[in-house]
Amino acid sequence: MTKNSNMSVLLKGLLLENPVFVLILGTCPTLATTTTLIGAIGMGLAATAVLICSNAVISLLRKVIPESVRIPCYIVIIAGFVTVVQMFIHAYLPTLYELLGVYLALITVNCIILGRAEMFASKNSVGKSVLDGIGMGLGFTLALVSIALIREVFGAGTFFGMEIPVLSNFKIEFLTKAPGGFLVYGIMIAAVSKITKGKAPYKKEFSCANCPSASFCGKQNCEERKGN
Amino acid sequence: MKKHIKSVISLTAICAVVSLLLAVTNYVTDPIIKKQESDAVGKALTVVLPNGEDFQTVELTEYKLPETVIEAYSEKNGGYVFKMTTTGYASGLVILCGIDADGKVAGATCIASNETNKAETEYGKNVVNATLDSIDKVDTVGGSTKTTTAYRNAVKDALNSFVILNGGSVDLRSEEEILADNLKTALPDADEFTPIFITEDMEGIKDIYSANNGAGFVFVTKDKFIATDLQGNVLTETEQEIKTKVSSAAQKQIGVTLTEIDITKYPDMPTTVEKAYKTSTGNFVLELRAAGFGIRGDEWYGPSGEYIKIKVSVTSGGKIITCKTVSQKESDGIGSACKEPAFYTQFNGKEESNYADIDAISGATITTNGYKTAISKVFEAVKILKGEN
Repeated sequence: MTKNSNMSVLLKGLLLENPVFVLILGTCPTLATTTTLIGAIGMGLAATAVLICSNAVISLLRKVIPESVRIPCYIVIIAGFVTVVQMFIHAYLPTLYELLGVYLALITVNCIILGRAEMFASKNSVGKSVLDGIGMGLGFTLALVSIALIREVFGAGTFFGMEIPVLSNFKIEFLTKAPGGFLVYGIMIAAVSKITKGKAPYKKEFSCANCPSASFCGKQNCEERKGN
Repeated sequence: MKKHIKSVISLTAICAVVSLLLAVTNYVTDPIIKKQESDAVGKALTVVLPNGEDFQTVELTEYKLPETVIEAYSEKNGGYVFKMTTTGYASGLVILCGIDADGKVAGATCIASNETNKAETEYGKNVVNATLDSIDKVDTVGGSTKTTTAYRNAVKDALNSFVILNGGSVDLRSEEEILADNLKTALPDADEFTPIFITEDMEGIKDIYSANNGAGFVFVTKDKFIATDLQGNVLTETEQEIKTKVSSAAQKQIGVTLTEIDITKYPDMPTTVEKAYKTSTGNFVLELRAAGFGIRGDEWYGPSGEYIKIKVSVTSGGKIITCKTVSQKESDGIGSACKEPAFYTQFNGKEESNYADIDAISGATITTNGYKTAISKVFEAVKILKGEN
């Protein structure tokens, strides 16, 4: 499987470039919506829908959008899709709408979406951008679900809201609170880093031109940091 | 320059397309969201109006409703649900009250409160089926008088609002405002009035008010306000029978003077009598102290630390003419009801044989008994003052 094959674009988001565990993006919604599995799946799928749509449109318009106003254009497109998704969830899934609360609207400022628009969709074809959106979206969803699984099952003693016999008597409520969320998140990052043997974070795709740390980093590209 | 123009056009075009997309989405989802919200509100409202269907918000700015009413919903069958926010023992007492098409309370519930004894959680059951005519007769709960009175008043506001929304009109003035307006109507030359303590036994007169500017007096009968000048000549046009009654009352009361009696000369005088006066017509006015919740025997208890002060006028034959609570520091919301005219006017017209036949204050047995004991000594004091003992 070549590096840029369609399958690789689709699958990299799941593990090797998982937006949550490897790129460490979207930490706020990750911690906020992973107290329940339903919330995690809802947030994951809502973000996936926005990712696919915004990646497709941004890729389609990549040659039309002038370089100087690209970020405002991306934000307008992303905010538009988030609002559309928000309206549909409000209309057809009111319970999920209540559950996600303000974090649904905050998908607009989710770094994963703007990050993929800037790093991938603005440089690749529509087809590949859609695949990237699907891969990254599912990777985000997978990450949320895996954290939520631990927090809900062991923290609240429930599974999709249903009480688990025995376990519900020995729940570790700390896990449902913010510190518990950070703890599980950290352990998951460590586990993924172990599985990927520490290679994942230093991919060349983090181009220095778009990196906010480029001015003081002093390195030519991120691979130079390997082994630091 | 060309580059800048291109940037502006691109961003504007993207914004326009996104706006269009949002408008279309809103067009599709808005009716569904509105219906959902209305269903959710309807579900909450059916708790207090079980037969209500298809609730719609009523725009309150179009009506002059009582100030406590903050939201109102109409329903298909002619019923209404009102949301009131009021103050019981603490502020923030929020009541939801459903009124059916017949103007009867279908249900009431407290949806938020900061009260301490939580009587408001159950009190809604007591007002079910009440109407505007019967709501004042619903009993408050002893020990939670303040909370339940505020609750009952809020429900009354809902019933009044129901009348207003159905095109009727109700008097939203407080009792004090109604009294002030009635006095002013009877004697337009006066602005402020002072109640006169009635010392003479007169038929059919409830209260007498004196105009502060000396314009005259207003005599209150069962349902009329009759003005007289300072000499007692009736100014208000009314039936001859009432004119005669008021004129006779005026002749009796106006010009009555009080002379203080030195009660230390009477060693047997009950200790509850603090001061005694004799009127120029031979009646007596006594200032009493009653041991309420604050004092039992010779020891002070509880929060009061003060006697209830009572003023009584009594005929030489031992019939109470007027009884009034002058001051009190009984427990707020419980024994403090002794300051209400509804309680103390019960003694008006009573004699030694029947003074105890009055309704006690709910939840305040000690206050009621202390008050009754002080009143019981009035008859003994009159006999002593007349030299019969």
